[in-house]
Amino acid sequence: MVDAVIRESGIGTRGRALDVVFRAATFFFAILVLVILFGIVAALIDGALPALKQFGFAFIVDSSWDPVKQIFGAFPAIYGTLITSFIAMLIGIPLAFGIAIFITELCPPWLKRPIGTLIELLAAIPSIIYGIWGLFVLAPMLQSHVQPFLVETLGAIPLIGFLFEGAPLGVGMLTAGIILSIMVLPFITSVMRDVFETVPTVLKESAYGIGATTFEVVWNIVLPYTRTGVIGGVMLGLGRALGETMAVTFVIGNSHQFMTSLLAPGTTISATLANEFSEADTPIYLSVMFALGLILSVITLLVLAAAKFMLSRMERQGGS
Amino acid sequence: MNPYARRRLVNMTVLSLSLAATAIGIIWLAAILWTLLENGIAALDVDFFTLDTPGSGSDGGGLRNAIFGSLIMTALGTFVGAPIGILAGTFLAEFGRGNPLAPAVRFINDILLSAPSIIVGVFVYEAMVLRMGHYSAWAGAVALGIIVIPVVIRTTENMLNLVPGSLREAAFALGTPKWKVIVFITYRAAMQGMLTGVLLAVARVSGETAPLLFTVVNNQFWQGVAMDAQMANLPVVIFQFAMSPDHNWQRLAWGGALVITFAILILNISARLLANLRGFSK
Amino acid sequence: MSTDASLTPPEQRRPPAVTAFRADGGSATPTHAATFPQQPLRPTEAAKPVTPDKVVVRNLYFFYKKYEALHGINLALRDKRVTAFIGPSGCGKSTLLRILNRIYQLYPEQRATGEVMVDGQNILDPKVDLNLLRAKIGMVFQKPTPFPMSIYDNIAFGIRLYEKLPPSELDERVESAIRRAALWDEVKDKLKQSGLSLSGGQQQRLCIARAIAVKPEILLLDEPASALDPISTQRIEELIGELKTDYCIAIVTHNMQQAARASDYTAFMYLGELVEFDETEAIFTHPKNKRTEDYITGRFG
Repeated sequence: MVDAVIRESGIGTRGRALDVVFRAATFFFAILVLVILFGIVAALIDGALPALKQFGFAFIVDSSWDPVKQIFGAFPAIYGTLITSFIAMLIGIPLAFGIAIFITELCPPWLKRPIGTLIELLAAIPSIIYGIWGLFVLAPMLQSHVQPFLVETLGAIPLIGFLFEGAPLGVGMLTAGIILSIMVLPFITSVMRDVFETVPTVLKESAYGIGATTFEVVWNIVLPYTRTGVIGGVMLGLGRALGETMAVTFVIGNSHQFMTSLLAPGTTISATLANEFSEADTPIYLSVMFALGLILSVITLLVLAAAKFMLSRMERQGGS
Repeated sequence: MNPYARRRLVNMTVLSLSLAATAIGIIWLAAILWTLLENGIAALDVDFFTLDTPGSGSDGGGLRNAIFGSLIMTALGTFVGAPIGILAGTFLAEFGRGNPLAPAVRFINDILLSAPSIIVGVFVYEAMVLRMGHYSAWAGAVALGIIVIPVVIRTTENMLNLVPGSLREAAFALGTPKWKVIVFITYRAAMQGMLTGVLLAVARVSGETAPLLFTVVNNQFWQGVAMDAQMANLPVVIFQFAMSPDHNWQRLAWGGALVITFAILILNISARLLANLRGFSK
Repeated sequence: MSTDASLTPPEQRRPPAVTAFRADGGSATPTHAATFPQQPLRPTEAAKPVTPDKVVVRNLYFFYKKYEALHGINLALRDKRVTAFIGPSGCGKSTLLRILNRIYQLYPEQRATGEVMVDGQNILDPKVDLNLLRAKIGMVFQKPTPFPMSIYDNIAFGIRLYEKLPPSELDERVESAIRRAALWDEVKDKLKQSGLSLSGGQQQRLCIARAIAVKPEILLLDEPASALDPISTQRIEELIGELKTDYCIAIVTHNMQQAARASDYTAFMYLGELVEFDETEAIFTHPKNKRTEDYITGRFG
């Protein structure tokens, strides 16, 4: 009796046609993702070619920046990007590690969720907020209290003194690095925490059972077990730090002059783009912008791909 | 000092440091929020929401056009990006089995997820602004949409994968065609999670400045829903106003910063509440 | 007994020896479908009327990628009767059930060869429309799977797939399905509530109602009561007894007592083979195969 009804209404075939349409639609939009990435890369290369052809590979190591004479070099921007991210990692990784240990090993259960939420709120705050906070709060504070201190103490030490010389301006690469570290802190903490929690409780319990201290359990059991995941998380944070724009633009000082002191103003690729892209009034100037974007993309894409690779390795191995 | 005492000392030190680290993190958060409140509340009056951005050197004014513009472009970016993300995520979860394209899409998607948003801005500049010959709100919305897509793909795929296979099998066993199984059964079962994902994407995109910097830029005036031209928006206004020496502008920038942060926190909390809602999906 | 499975194509292979049965009491290796006793095996038994074959399985082989999980199954399910499949874990009873509505085809690495004739038509033929087939053969799973919608919509969902009914008629169909599943009194006042708000036993009866609402001819039950408490289990078994007057029912169960209580015919499977197939009474009181006897008496499994 069901057959009779179906044959009359022809519902069977219509269902099948819609199946094909639906599948095709989902496939189409999935491919769109690939198209977008390809488009981004193509657009960057296309826009950057004139500059690359004009300046050649010397572009990467050249420090001149003269929009009037149309001579550009990417080195200060690249240097700034790398240095600020490095500082961010230097400060952020130990902090993230500490917070992750606290949440997973020390924290009483009722506190876990609230603290985790608070740390995640740090991630939710948009980067522009960090930027203006850095400009109006952190920079003045560093200028009046911290930087003079650094110049007098660390600046006097022979080998690293050159990093801490010059007038305290408040803004500069050190400040940018500090702001950046707060930005990447929640991401690295999140990954570390997730990855720490995959360690089987029995494993930790057996270590505690022979009398190991909490630190020893973390250092000797948890960390080795989660090594790949931790590295993946760190690289994820690095990827974000490299590409971060707004937090850095406010406090980096925006100078294309290459200086070795961390207290000096500098620039990053993203800060240069943010400030000068719209001002680029000649084709070569605009092409230089694209070239900078291309360099940044290459660096971040490599770091992110490596991070993804590490994290998926961790998932597959399930640990060690 | 005997070895055991030394071990205990090391342990105590490390644990104290980790407590300190957590305290630092939370204090930082509190400091930022406090500064926001302190400086921003002063700017929030009726004028703030009813008047448009003032010129340089003038007093008063508000951020009405910027708030409105942000709402428009965020909504548009979400309306475009979310369905694309949901359908693409559906492909990965429901049709991706055995298809070699699925792991490739997933990999690329994760990269796009963490890509610098300023690069997205550069891309849309070349793809749309140069071609159209001018900045536009369309370009701004597209840039935001491109950022929404990877977030929604990731959450949709995860949520769909959580739906138990037995539920799908039960629907197939009734003779339901595959597209109906997905749309009427699987989507319904995963709806809570999928909506949470969209909310999180909206929260992420609301604060984005970089992709708007050279796509829609800004507009000092109120233009209504003129999509084909530059449109005022909160993040870029905050950027320009905060970086300027104009005190009135700086005041308004803080107000705008407070409004954006507040909105994003609300969105995040709503997403969290929605995710934990122990309800029965209708 | 069985030749090296990888050398001969499945279609040409001899199924391994099945302890079959004939009315004359002899056993033979069947070349086609297993035949049934034409008369009751013990003269003192009241003769149960024999109903026609609804499903005839011939030479059925099943593969997970290269692994052969079912080796040459031959049997027939009688209409308006309950056939139970018993056997230790991994013997293939669920696998066999899932072939009957081709639900295995959701997974590309699973394959079946042979013939499964339903009312004379081979349902393994690729030309058969899967959705229409599954509307004719209903399935209830081990874990209750109410759809995330109201109780009413759960039942109506399947009906709406194939028929356009005016609301009053739809209401009647929904009500009669729920009544048939012995659930009406418990849910008649809360039809708009979510199906997930019911207890486990009620959810399972909801799934049964959902399956019979589309008026199938065959019902496949895959361990329908194993996730339920004893009282719900008993109600489900009673329900099966009532339902069999209208449907051909196949039930997989790991609970031998349940098979003995609720079914007319029982098939014992072991390691992918159909070892013995007979009237339930006969299987449990005087099984012909040593392995059957060992399983029933609890020596393994």
